[in-house]
Amino acid sequence: MLSLWGQYIGSFLHALVTTIEITVLGLAVAAVVGSVLAAMRSSKLAILRIVAIAYVDVMRAIPVLVLLFIAYYGLGQVGLTLSGVTSAVVALGAFYASLFAEIFRGGIKSVERGQHEAAAALGMGPWLQIRKVIAPQAFMAILLPSTNEISNIIKDTSLVVTIGVTDLMSQAYQASSETFQPMDMFILAGLVYLGLYLVISRALGRWELSVQRRRS
Amino acid sequence: MSSDVVVDIHNVTKKFGDRTVFSDVSLQVHRSEVVAIIGPSGAGKSTLIRCVNHLNSFEHGTITVLGEEVHGTEDHKSRPSRQTLRRIRTKTGMVFQTFNLFPHLSVTENVTLAPMKVLGLPKDQARERAERLLAMVGLSHRASAYPRRLSGGEQQRVAICRALAMEPEIMLFDEPTSMLDPELVGDVLDAIRRLAQEGMTMILVTHEMMFARDVADTVLVMADGGIAEMGAARDVLSRPRTERVRVFLDRVLRHTASDVESPGTASSITPVGGSTG
Repeated sequence: MLSLWGQYIGSFLHALVTTIEITVLGLAVAAVVGSVLAAMRSSKLAILRIVAIAYVDVMRAIPVLVLLFIAYYGLGQVGLTLSGVTSAVVALGAFYASLFAEIFRGGIKSVERGQHEAAAALGMGPWLQIRKVIAPQAFMAILLPSTNEISNIIKDTSLVVTIGVTDLMSQAYQASSETFQPMDMFILAGLVYLGLYLVISRALGRWELSVQRRRS
Repeated sequence: MSSDVVVDIHNVTKKFGDRTVFSDVSLQVHRSEVVAIIGPSGAGKSTLIRCVNHLNSFEHGTITVLGEEVHGTEDHKSRPSRQTLRRIRTKTGMVFQTFNLFPHLSVTENVTLAPMKVLGLPKDQARERAERLLAMVGLSHRASAYPRRLSGGEQQRVAICRALAMEPEIMLFDEPTSMLDPELVGDVLDAIRRLAQEGMTMILVTHEMMFARDVADTVLVMADGGIAEMGAARDVLSRPRTERVRVFLDRVLRHTASDVESPGTASSITPVGGSTG
């Protein structure tokens, strides 16, 4: 088993780059769209609030795989052909945006009203208040649930095996059909996923701790 | 309007939903005048000063701060522009009952944030200003601490510095000592008293009657949806003209007096204004 692992680990790690690429880009899309949705949820305009709520509901209801197929096959049919990686970024970004919207909203709500008022009384405009006073305080309330979603999105990138993107999952699939050793190959894939998870979750944990220390 | 009126509250009515908090309140504050607002809770004292810098809106009347006029929301359709709010708020410092320091920033950062970001002051100048103000309230040694490490009295003195760092022309104090332990009140009152002596225009909501009598030029008693009495501090506090104010003062002063006279209570044996604050 170990010699087989040694033979394939290189190509697995190479495929891991694609997994990380989809994760990072998907998260970036999710964070940006999620912030916009969170802002819409607290807007004074009812129409913006309704659109944001509807978006979150729809995304919760639809399996990510359906979103992925819409992005890859569906958009291609109407003349917007996306690469596999781009489709994955769009589908995962769209879905995780709905989750991040709720996380961001909770984080903003966790900041006391008096903080907004103190900032406003000092003449800060809404944007400055958010950037310098609200967001840094919401950070703690956002970081822990975000860590959970980050580990989920890493796992969900494996869905791209269905649209022929060479990520870690499809590399393992290919290797198992070459070697007829699916147990070895998928366990190796699992171990690589575990390694990625550990690195990221520990890094975020350290970050949280350092911020906490700095503020006391 | 005489030229040295800096805050002109004219016939202002404030409602929360259907409930009218106060109606037709008028008050003129002159430059360097200290106005203390007292009265039973729920009379709208805090609400009134929060209307001055528009943390609360009001339905009717006009409030003019340093020439910036804002009308009641039901009199005028248009809300004050962002620029108007900014001009009023940068010239009007506010100190809150609950301090509301920014917990993610150090003491110095709390004081320098708005001068740098709102007024565009260079960092070194903002820091100089912060150092000077913190020294004034005896907190130079706490400059790099974070708010949660400070006592309530220290936090409130930092909050005063934060407001003063904008170099406001008017200061609003919303019950600045009512969340403090008795032994920490003195230092905060000292800081406010010094400001008054330096000629700062101030509107102060307070329950500290003795302090109001010492520091304020004018006392305004709010009760029952309006101004119950207004006049020179000593007159209103020692010779109230109305029964309503007489009853209120009686109740408050009797309570204060019994606190001071009963021997052995914490408040009577603790030196006020000690360095523990």
